[in-house]
Amino acid sequence: MAINSVAILGVSRLAEELVKLSQAGGLSATLHADAATVPSSASLVVETQAAPESEKRELLNKLDARVSGSTVIVSSCLAFSPTLIGSWSAAPERVVGFATFYPLADKKVVELSGGLRAGEASLEQAEEFFRRLGKETARVKDTAGLIFPRILSLIINEAARALDEGVAEEEAIDAAMKLGVNYPSGPLRWADRVGIDEVLAVLEGAHRESGDDRYRPSPLLKKMVAAGWLGEASGKGFYSYNEGKR
Amino acid sequence: MSVNPSKIGVLGAGTMGAGIAQVAAQAGFDTLLYDVSQEFIDRGLGRIRTFLEGSRKRGKLSAEQEQQILARLKGTLKLEDFSGYGLIIEAVPEQIELKREIFKKLDADCGIETILATNTSSFSVTVIAAAARRPERVLGLHFFNPPALMALVEVVQGERTSAAAMETATGIVRRMGKTPVAAKDTPGFIVNRIARPFYNEALRILGDGGATVETIDKVMKGAGGFPMGPFELMDLIGIDINFAATQSLFEAFFHDPRFRPSPIQRRMFLAGNLGRKTGRGFYTYGDK
Repeated sequence: MAINSVAILGVSRLAEELVKLSQAGGLSATLHADAATVPSSASLVVETQAAPESEKRELLNKLDARVSGSTVIVSSCLAFSPTLIGSWSAAPERVVGFATFYPLADKKVVELSGGLRAGEASLEQAEEFFRRLGKETARVKDTAGLIFPRILSLIINEAARALDEGVAEEEAIDAAMKLGVNYPSGPLRWADRVGIDEVLAVLEGAHRESGDDRYRPSPLLKKMVAAGWLGEASGKGFYSYNEGKR
Repeated sequence: MSVNPSKIGVLGAGTMGAGIAQVAAQAGFDTLLYDVSQEFIDRGLGRIRTFLEGSRKRGKLSAEQEQQILARLKGTLKLEDFSGYGLIIEAVPEQIELKREIFKKLDADCGIETILATNTSSFSVTVIAAAARRPERVLGLHFFNPPALMALVEVVQGERTSAAAMETATGIVRRMGKTPVAAKDTPGFIVNRIARPFYNEALRILGDGGATVETIDKVMKGAGGFPMGPFELMDLIGIDINFAATQSLFEAFFHDPRFRPSPIQRRMFLAGNLGRKTGRGFYTYGDK
């Protein structure tokens, strides 16, 4: 079935970007801060909220009740497995997970994952949507954070621990990872760009779903989120972004 | 006895030692390369000659510069020859007793102003330094492979390394044309520690059936912007080298689950599927 109109749900840089990319891809796309304003006729809804569970679950419930039976829901699975997110819908076969970090513009590939009860037709619709945005897709097993967000969050977590332990300073850590292993960005600078809250959500999700201590978030990341130091979006993270600095 | 700051000694003429000696000679230091047999020294110097010849043929080096660099490089079989050197960098095989023996001897032979550095990646600088009577002048200079091309050097401060030794060594690294970053002596320093999840989590996802080798590499390049996928990179580094680094971090952090090695990697190591160098790793290569 062709995708006619998409609704992007969420208050985030990623949500705004998805609207622009959808329009550039020739789709009719609208941005919504609240599920109540999503048109019931939308062919596909992309829901971008990472966490917390209570809010995301409520959002899915509302959305599910609002849109028509044939609407596909593509939901951010940074912090919850697509199966769990699907369980918050009365029609889990229409729910597909996607996991990516802002910004989407520089990414060639987007990861998609269907939960245990996801329908093949829904997955194909989600693939078609990202193709229209000029992206390749990769189908992977359903876990919180999928592949790239999970691996990057663990690298950032280790960098935050090393910083917290006084192993080296911010600039030294970032320079070392760029020059020593050719990373496209230093991990702390990278964390500031994608958002410390998003990174913490991935780590907490993987920790909760697996019970494995390898995902335990660094206390520094938790404190930064509590302090509102979320990175570029809030003007302060590992670095400061006020007054046009950095 | 005062030291000559323009003289650098390198112990070990293997890939890392020869590479570091090349960097030093190219930067204008009189460089002395030590190993336990003339054959090893000749092989190391031969590698440098081949590299420089390639640079000259690509027009990156004049014949005169090439000759000047080679004239600054000499080999020796005697550790005693290093007294009076400003900096000595040890790059012998990763065996802790061998390294400690060398530092004990260097410490006894060299004047107090000579800075003694280890290029170790898997041992504690503090443990190596403790073999010296004056651990204040011992530190880590961790070069990356291949030293001639990689800009980074981790300057590692052991528990008893003096601030003055750190400052002097940092200055010399800059004069060698490299980018120094200061790190405390902790397992894996900066890079080997923070890079661990890139490999380990990819292995974990593979082991859980999360995605195939090809898909994980495609995602990390296409979504993450990494120049190579984790499996391509492990094949390039060598499964044995990568597995040893992971095991060393796991031991050094007292079995913290964050550093737990993967059974997949161990199985490949035991089977001799070591990556590109054996023709078989996560991918297969050529007709080896």
